[in-house]
Amino acid sequence: MLHVKQVSKVYEGKVTYNALTDIDLTIQQGEFVGVMGPSGSGKTTLLNIIATIDEPTAGDVLINGNNPHRLKKEELAKFRRRELGFVFQDFNLLHTLTVEENIVLPLTLDGGKVAEMKQKAYDIAGKLGITGIMKKRTYEISGGQAQRTAIARAMIHSPKLLLADEPTGNLDSKASKDVMEMLESINRNERTTMMLVTHDALAASYCNRVVFIQDGRLYTEIRRGDNRQAFFQKIIDTLALLGGHANDLSSIRVQ
Amino acid sequence: MTFRQFAFNNVARNKRLYAAYFLSSMFTVMVFFTFSIFAFHPALSGDDMNSSVAQGMNIAAGIIYVFSFFFILYSMSSFLQSRKKEFGLLMIHGMSMKQIRSMVFLENMIIGFFATLGGIVLGLVFAKAILLLAENVLIIDNKLNFYIPSQAVVLTFVSFIVLFFFISVFVSFVLRSGKLIDLLKGDKKSKGEPKASLLLTLLAALLLGGGYAIAFVVKGMLVIAAMLPVTVMVIIGTYLLFTQLSVFVIRRLKNKESFSWRHTNMILFSDLSYRMKDNARTFFLVAIISTVAFSAIGTLYGFQTFLSAGIEKANPNTFTYYGDEQEEQDVARINATLQEEHMKANKAHAELHYYDAAGDSVLIVKQSDYNRFAELIGEETVNVKDGQTFLVKSEALTFGLPNKQQNRAIELESGVVLDQEEILQSSALPSSDYYIVSDNDYEKLPAPADIKSYHAWQATEGKQHVLSAAEKLYQQLPYEVTSGEYDIYQLNKGYGPIMFVGLFIGIVFFVSAGSFLYFRLYTDVDGDKQKFKMIAKMGLSEKELKKVLTRQTAILFFAPIIVALIHGAVALTALSHLFFYNLAKESAIVLGVFLLIQIIYFFVVRLFYTKQIQAAVHL
Repeated sequence: MLHVKQVSKVYEGKVTYNALTDIDLTIQQGEFVGVMGPSGSGKTTLLNIIATIDEPTAGDVLINGNNPHRLKKEELAKFRRRELGFVFQDFNLLHTLTVEENIVLPLTLDGGKVAEMKQKAYDIAGKLGITGIMKKRTYEISGGQAQRTAIARAMIHSPKLLLADEPTGNLDSKASKDVMEMLESINRNERTTMMLVTHDALAASYCNRVVFIQDGRLYTEIRRGDNRQAFFQKIIDTLALLGGHANDLSSIRVQ
Repeated sequence: MTFRQFAFNNVARNKRLYAAYFLSSMFTVMVFFTFSIFAFHPALSGDDMNSSVAQGMNIAAGIIYVFSFFFILYSMSSFLQSRKKEFGLLMIHGMSMKQIRSMVFLENMIIGFFATLGGIVLGLVFAKAILLLAENVLIIDNKLNFYIPSQAVVLTFVSFIVLFFFISVFVSFVLRSGKLIDLLKGDKKSKGEPKASLLLTLLAALLLGGGYAIAFVVKGMLVIAAMLPVTVMVIIGTYLLFTQLSVFVIRRLKNKESFSWRHTNMILFSDLSYRMKDNARTFFLVAIISTVAFSAIGTLYGFQTFLSAGIEKANPNTFTYYGDEQEEQDVARINATLQEEHMKANKAHAELHYYDAAGDSVLIVKQSDYNRFAELIGEETVNVKDGQTFLVKSEALTFGLPNKQQNRAIELESGVVLDQEEILQSSALPSSDYYIVSDNDYEKLPAPADIKSYHAWQATEGKQHVLSAAEKLYQQLPYEVTSGEYDIYQLNKGYGPIMFVGLFIGIVFFVSAGSFLYFRLYTDVDGDKQKFKMIAKMGLSEKELKKVLTRQTAILFFAPIIVALIHGAVALTALSHLFFYNLAKESAIVLGVFLLIQIIYFFVVRLFYTKQIQAAVHL
């Protein structure tokens, strides 16, 4: 579904900096892939390139066989609006809008029937458990609710690919767990392809597969078996190899 | 880093943030400075300017100064509004309110000092252009040369340093901290919508409608009596219009989801309702200030046209002459002067006979005399049958006042009765309410009470020399000769300074109204950047972004101006009712020019604003 072919990103400046070098990545339809790596390894750059927010210096990104970077600006905007969904660390909700208006925003930009939009908004809000706050303003809701609103906004137009950049970065462990379980269930039930960039090993353990990046290059990837706890331990171990300490998290927690 | 260094660096390293405030302060200083360059000009302070004009200049400078004070105060407070979050951050790190006050005070003084310097330097650069403009508007005999305006520099520098000092003291004194949480969340929380009540909305419509109706209905001197109540009604009405009616309308539109959920409408309307309170205040200020500018300039322009039109109508001839003892000699001199100036003219002469009637002096002219003068200025001749009498009225000499009904016959003291049958409008003779009779009837009239010899010249060639010829003749025969063209020239010359001052103040008001709008827009520029960045990630095409920004800016720029234009049009209509003189053309010109300037301003600001947002969004 998503093919990243030999993508490189070079930041020109006083000192040229290779943010990404020859990245190859393929994500299958319905797959839930996590991208991990130390700070500055190029995770977010990769996500931004796939999200068409940033341009690669070399290489191609194919989404369903099409290269969105070849599209004209106007078409690109429509492509993002229709095919992609975004979830950000800092939610990126518009504070001039209510929760409901935030959720339907991608649909209104594309034009459509109000009743239909409302129906979709309430359907998805029901699934995410935020029906009670639909009329509230963004400063009146908690972080977890804000992130669920952001997920609702990212999902309302049934995107082909959902991109999440540190969605649990601003949340406590309970809210993180809720958000990740929601993403997992959306992935399972709607068969939406997802890509998640995160530092949080626990969040990454909800993925089918985790790709590790170091210094702009693919380092390794691991797949989840049946057991999430075992997967979590494997992620911790790999992170330790990447420069952390294996005993940062006690393995006793894994039963 | 000492505290003073911190305050200084805060300004010096954050230029962009302070730029708008700095520029508008500098602009204000420049306006005041150019005006004082003009007011202190040696060519104007001499004998040419009488004391009343000089006093007028001083009053105008005072008005500009007072206005500058409020303008800078407003700019300052809207600038501080946009920095709430910064203050919150500083307070979290332990800055006391006292320190924030002294920081704001220091910042203000730094900006004020440099704005004053910058304004003076910029003013010097533009001084020549202003003086040239003044020269043309003013009709001054000697040229306004560039000079080193030391007086103006000192006055501007001292008065603006004082002004900035007081504003800094005032602002840092009234700076309220509020709750820290409100400061930090300042940009996320709406300041709320003004409460819209049906009663007040109706009151707004009632006040505006009533004010307009009164302005349209009253005529003549009643206009002056009605001016104050109408002004108050319209000002309150305008305030309610923006705080009530606009809230009402935007709410209705926003709640109508079939409308507000269409494409980019949601972004636009959520924003409008979010900023309603700030917008309403700005709109009101801009509308009132622009109305003042429109009305002032329209009034001055209209008044000038009215006066010169009056002179022109009263004196359609190039020269006229009422004879006295030296009639022959004078007429010869006039003819000689015309020849000297290479002018050719048609001439007409008549003896005007005055009769006593009911304590009044009545002029009776015979048909052939009248027709000669009518032909001279290209008016239609008349054919009066024996026994008929025509009454002639001159529009110019009655200043457009509606004539009293004069249908009754006039009985001369000698017993002859004149029964007027037709009323003519004509400027052929410099008199109103006179009678034309047929040549036969004229012979039968008794001896007149008074006879005046009247000559008129109508130039056919060498019209460009009229002014110089007139100047010579006015010196030689100041009481006997009249030239309409020269009178208008004299009027414009005397009227020039008033016109210039009025124009200047009007333009200052108008430009500052524009600055208010600019401030309103740029207070939210960071919020807008962030907002559009978010939306762009979700997919907002460049076209859609431009559309939203255009609409947003258009509402800001045209909502108050259109209200002001309507107010101005009504005010000028009332003015024309006062004079009984139609000012439609003049009003249309003044209002049209302002609208045009506003449209250009809108396009310029939109261009820059869109560019800034686009740069932030990286579309």
